Amino acid sequence: MTDTAIDAIADASSAQTGEFAGENSAYYEAEFEKIQGTTGFAWSWNTMAAVFGPLWGALRGVWGFFWIYLILELFAFVQIGRGLWGDLGADQPAKYERLQANIARREEQARELIAAGNAAEAESKLNIAENLKKVAAAAKEQADLASNEASMILLVGLAVLFVVKLSEGFYANVAYEAQYLKWRTNPKIQSGVNWTNAGIGALLLLAIWPLTLIRFTVADPNKWIAQLTNGLLGDRISITQFPVQKQYFAYLARKGDEGFDWLANKFGGVFDGVTAAVRWVLDSLEVLLIQTPWPVVMLMIVVMAYRLAGPRVAIFTAAALAYLAFMGLWEISMITVALIGAGAFLCILFGIPLGIWFGKSRRAYALAEPVLDFMQTMPAFVYLIPIIAFFGTGKPPGVLATIIFAMPPVIRLTALGMRGVPETTKEAAVAFGCSKRQLLFFVELPLALPSIMTGINQTILMSLSMVVIASLIGAEGLGALILEALQYAAKGQGLLGGLAILFCAMVIDRIAQGVYRRRAGGG
Amino acid sequence: MNETVNDDVIVVNGVWKIFGADVDDAMQAIEQRGLSKSQVLDEFGCVVGLADCSFRVRRGEIFCIMGLSGSGKSTLVRHLNRLIEPTAGQISVLGKDMIAMKGAELREMRARNLGMVFQHMALLPHRTVRDNVGFPLQVRGEPKSQRWDVSQRCLRMVNLHGYEDRFPHELSGGMQQRVGLARALASDPDVLLMDEPFSALDPLIRRQLQDQFMALSAELNKTTVFITHDLDEAIRIGNRIAIMKDGRIVQIGTPEDIVTKPADDYVRDFVEGISKLKLVFAHTIMEPFDSYRPGPNEDLRQSPRAHHGTDLDQLIDIAITTEQPIVINDDDGTDIGVINKSTLLAGIQGGKA
Repeated sequence: MTDTAIDAIADASSAQTGEFAGENSAYYEAEFEKIQGTTGFAWSWNTMAAVFGPLWGALRGVWGFFWIYLILELFAFVQIGRGLWGDLGADQPAKYERLQANIARREEQARELIAAGNAAEAESKLNIAENLKKVAAAAKEQADLASNEASMILLVGLAVLFVVKLSEGFYANVAYEAQYLKWRTNPKIQSGVNWTNAGIGALLLLAIWPLTLIRFTVADPNKWIAQLTNGLLGDRISITQFPVQKQYFAYLARKGDEGFDWLANKFGGVFDGVTAAVRWVLDSLEVLLIQTPWPVVMLMIVVMAYRLAGPRVAIFTAAALAYLAFMGLWEISMITVALIGAGAFLCILFGIPLGIWFGKSRRAYALAEPVLDFMQTMPAFVYLIPIIAFFGTGKPPGVLATIIFAMPPVIRLTALGMRGVPETTKEAAVAFGCSKRQLLFFVELPLALPSIMTGINQTILMSLSMVVIASLIGAEGLGALILEALQYAAKGQGLLGGLAILFCAMVIDRIAQGVYRRRAGGG
Repeated sequence: MNETVNDDVIVVNGVWKIFGADVDDAMQAIEQRGLSKSQVLDEFGCVVGLADCSFRVRRGEIFCIMGLSGSGKSTLVRHLNRLIEPTAGQISVLGKDMIAMKGAELREMRARNLGMVFQHMALLPHRTVRDNVGFPLQVRGEPKSQRWDVSQRCLRMVNLHGYEDRFPHELSGGMQQRVGLARALASDPDVLLMDEPFSALDPLIRRQLQDQFMALSAELNKTTVFITHDLDEAIRIGNRIAIMKDGRIVQIGTPEDIVTKPADDYVRDFVEGISKLKLVFAHTIMEPFDSYRPGPNEDLRQSPRAHHGTDLDQLIDIAITTEQPIVINDDDGTDIGVINKSTLLAGIQGGKA
């Protein structure tokens, strides 16, 4: 490349810098060139930024700079304010005065008593005065100390302000150059100076700085502000607490209670029906796992582990089952597994069709997404309340709580899998005359299967984590054991119960993972 | 006349496709005011995918549609089995009006009469090769044994027997595309739609598959619409070629037509780099026999004879065996023209004498 060509490029680059900087462009061109020509930190000083601080950031649209230095400068100002006029230990001199008055009164009384000839009584008064003098001396010492401390704080504040200003001056151009680079790719980012933004910045400063300063430097800010307004708005204006009591909350809470009661009455039949259905699933599983003789159940589980996940998992499963059996936890473990199983089964039963629907319809998914987020993020204790209100306590409500918590993954991952099926594959299937049904069963579901399996696995594990919480509303099982241990601080019982839950979880997870890995392996 | 009409397996007439929200208004505006593509985009925010496309494909013909990406060729072929609905125009396949077809009838048509091969194969990864090939028959509800018989036969046709029980991911790209071809043949369709079937393959495999496809096509006598962005491929494979640009068909003709008589600069640009050796024939470049003056060492009586339909490639083969010019015969064996070395070289260079 010829020198003139390079020059032309450099010119174009500096013209662009000039366009970006707008006002004072020659200065910024030079500084940016310096920054761009340096590896490591470029020492480039910006006096305007150092003097005006956050306002410079607002004017130039460097809002990150604005906010950082707004806070840092405020911190420095608060220290300075505390040092200058904040009455640190403001109560100490007052206390000292009060004590002095008290001492004078006692001594007066003592003199009167001596005059009256009651020496013993006078002695005791003088003793009290003597003790009060000691306290007064301590108070005075405190007050002196505080005023010393005040000058220290003032010094620290000034030092902080100085450092902040220095860093503003040195950091401004670096930040502005970064903004310039962003602007080159996105011209919507502010370039040049914008006085409206500077005004907004100034307003923000006015809103934030004075109130905060007052809060941290004045002994009773609420009264101080009220005095500032000449008592027009009452003799106290609360800036330390939002001036609303609990009246709205109480009202709405009462209404909420009424609403729940009304719903529970109105749709009692529906809720009972749901409870009955869940109970039916739960009972079937319990018959299967508990009423069946334990050797049969154990054998079935170990054989299933062996067939689905291989010999290593089978050995681990046998060991875990032996632990449960020898600890005498076999029956409640099976109750727990039935609880998880019922929850997971219902999750899958409803989750997969919902997932298919959401995978196909973007609109439905957009509507469902916040609900799913809500189900996953809302702490379980919160929705235990309506569940108790509608479904009472016991195992079926426990299963329902489990479903709320554990259903989202299977729905999400089914939808994800459905959407992950390549359009080309679907198109090919349609080109060969597939109906919608055939498309679903021949193409979409098989291709989405790995994702669906992951979803099922997650759902099972999440149901497990609900075991203890479900026991809070009366679902029996290992969770209840842990809850009991928690209530009586029974450490040993808690540990053994926790291990039992861990083993259940690991066995279920290993078997499910094994199934998934075999499928993923194409076998 | 009547016979030729019956012989047209595919008739596409004035097909438009407009993508966007305001399609009907945009179409109306185009019909009434004759807006251009960019005007439609400005005014209605609609993209014109296909503009007034018409062509006919005869029975047994390989009809290539060639164009660069975005020219609308893949959109056009998807109209033939109505994977995409046209905005306006008529499409008939095998004498049936495709536009009027509904639900089950359309699916039946796709499953029985229209086979399709895709650029990215679009095989089902969870099915064996055998079940992939049998897929169109499964869609039609044929029993397993029949499906397997047919897929065995089709895999043999594309030289893939022995791979029935493999999964697609165990096969190379070229083999996968042969599975795709076998799948398209499985339902024994009258029409094959091939959407850039060989584009994703490396050049050597592509050439092999082209040869294999041409052999198969000659044997099975299927009517084929073949989409490609490669003019070489179009010329190798196609009986006739349609060249598309910006959703319009710019020119339709035989490979020789396209190469020797490009309709406009766009086509001419394309044709420029194409080897004419197999596309230009003796009768185009020869000098008339009567006006030819033999040079001092030339003796036309000793010259080799060649048919007037011999292409340049073969003429070069003949020319390197002899010092004499080549004498060109007509169908009856009469000498009608002469090609000496300089005529031949000029012909290779320009395609014309």
